Amino acid sequence: MSRRAEGLSRLAKAATPTVLGLVGVLLLALPLRLAQGVVPTPVLPLVVVFFWSIYGPSYLPAGSIFVIGLLQDFLTGGPLGLWPAVYLIVQYIALSQRSYFAGREQGVVWLGFAFAAAVAAIILWLVMSLMSGALLPVGGLFAQMVATVALYPVFAAGFSHLHSRVIVEV
Amino acid sequence: MDVLGQDRREGLGRKAESRVGLLLLILVSGILLLSSLYSAEASVFRKARETVIDAAAPALKVLSGPIAYVQHVVGDVQDYFHVLKQNQALREENAELRQWMNEALALRKTVESYEQLQHYYAPPEGKPIDAFVIGESNDSFTHSMLVNVGAKGGVERGQAVVDGGGLVGRIVDVGKNASRILLLTDVQSRVPVYIEDAGVEGILVGRTGSRPAVSFVESSDPVNFEPGQRVLTSGAGGVLPRGLPVGVVTAARDGEAIVRLYANYAKTRMVRVINYQFPAVEPVDAGSPEGDRSEEQTPDAGPQTAADASPRPARANAPTPAATTPEADPFADTDEGAPPDDAAPSSVAPPQTAAQPSGAAPQDGPRLAPQGG
Repeated sequence: MSRRAEGLSRLAKAATPTVLGLVGVLLLALPLRLAQGVVPTPVLPLVVVFFWSIYGPSYLPAGSIFVIGLLQDFLTGGPLGLWPAVYLIVQYIALSQRSYFAGREQGVVWLGFAFAAAVAAIILWLVMSLMSGALLPVGGLFAQMVATVALYPVFAAGFSHLHSRVIVEV
Repeated sequence: MDVLGQDRREGLGRKAESRVGLLLLILVSGILLLSSLYSAEASVFRKARETVIDAAAPALKVLSGPIAYVQHVVGDVQDYFHVLKQNQALREENAELRQWMNEALALRKTVESYEQLQHYYAPPEGKPIDAFVIGESNDSFTHSMLVNVGAKGGVERGQAVVDGGGLVGRIVDVGKNASRILLLTDVQSRVPVYIEDAGVEGILVGRTGSRPAVSFVESSDPVNFEPGQRVLTSGAGGVLPRGLPVGVVTAARDGEAIVRLYANYAKTRMVRVINYQFPAVEPVDAGSPEGDRSEEQTPDAGPQTAADASPRPARANAPTPAATTPEADPFADTDEGAPPDDAAPSSVAPPQTAAQPSGAAPQDGPRLAPQGG
């Protein structure tokens, strides 16, 4: 019985990053309207994907990221496959630079995240412009990515606490 | 001590393989994206979207309640600081609205008396379905909202959604208990509108910014519109009812009118889905001498939102003369000698245009039949 409970708790811990990503998607689909719609909702799944791709890629396999992105596409009504592609590419970037980021101070990682967010934004803008047949204004996207990057240290502090104290600790 | 990670790595394979999986999934996403680029309206994708909306609706419903409560409270706190100023503004607005009310009451009487004179049959009105906003896409390029009514509540694709201010958007996906509104600011949004005082029709095109633009496709002449003129739905295409308030023209840019919407998306909470039944067109008599009437009609509204093939009789109470085809003759039906079995008195029938579906049998003098309200 205790074995089973232990297995369950392991499963819960292993699934935590995925669940956090899904919660982030849910936040993107809720009428949050921070500061009466002035502040765009930060793209929390982007932080989740980047963070765990660097500090614990085995906890956030590509399949989970695909599901997170697909749910976001479904809930926000965008073209299917866009957000999975963006998140997976961000994971690819993070994984390829993982050895560089490992053990660096948070400021450097933050810069890395800003770079990844910029790449994500460029992909989003290119695909959506291609789909709508016109060069779309970038203001809204820029504001949302700035909000996400600005909030990264807060989320990252929370996540690293969660990761080192709860998930990895058995 | 990456104990769990070790386990998973042993279970799922080595790290190199996970990179292959990642690339494979990127490829899958790309293919998915390409296929949705070419067939965004494919029934498989639509069905999937509607199923996911339905599945997520309960969670969104539960979570959006507290959010709305917090927003309400925060909004109230802000109101306390502006109470005097707001009170003053409201008093002034109230006085102005009272004048409008008196004028409207007088006009209503006048219109009633005219209607009695004219044997006027009002076109069927939309039946509103009340709904709460439970979701909103906080995405910079897709602007949509989810509401908590779906097919079970009588919502259908294409219906208009309004809030206290004006038109919010129209329904694009319908689940059983939830549906998606495409907002007017979305890039994909196209709504036929007209500018009231300028008397021109156009298409309201979403530009992802907060202010959509009316683009004119009908005439190549310069269109005379001025800031401050009202923009209303034109009803072209037969999907939305005519005359729903949309917004106000604020500026001109590249020959397009920039519109400030009446709807405030930052505050949209309760909306009404307008279950509008388009007036049915009854075939009166096939093969009468005026069978070529349909060919006279020019399809005039340019690209339409949906239901391009649906017949679109102009409405009798159309406020703008230029909004409909010039061929629409208000007295056409009296000349034709309509068959006696028709229910509507045909002394002065509403003017009708008949942009008929191409495959349909020729219909003569399609008649506006008021359907059960």
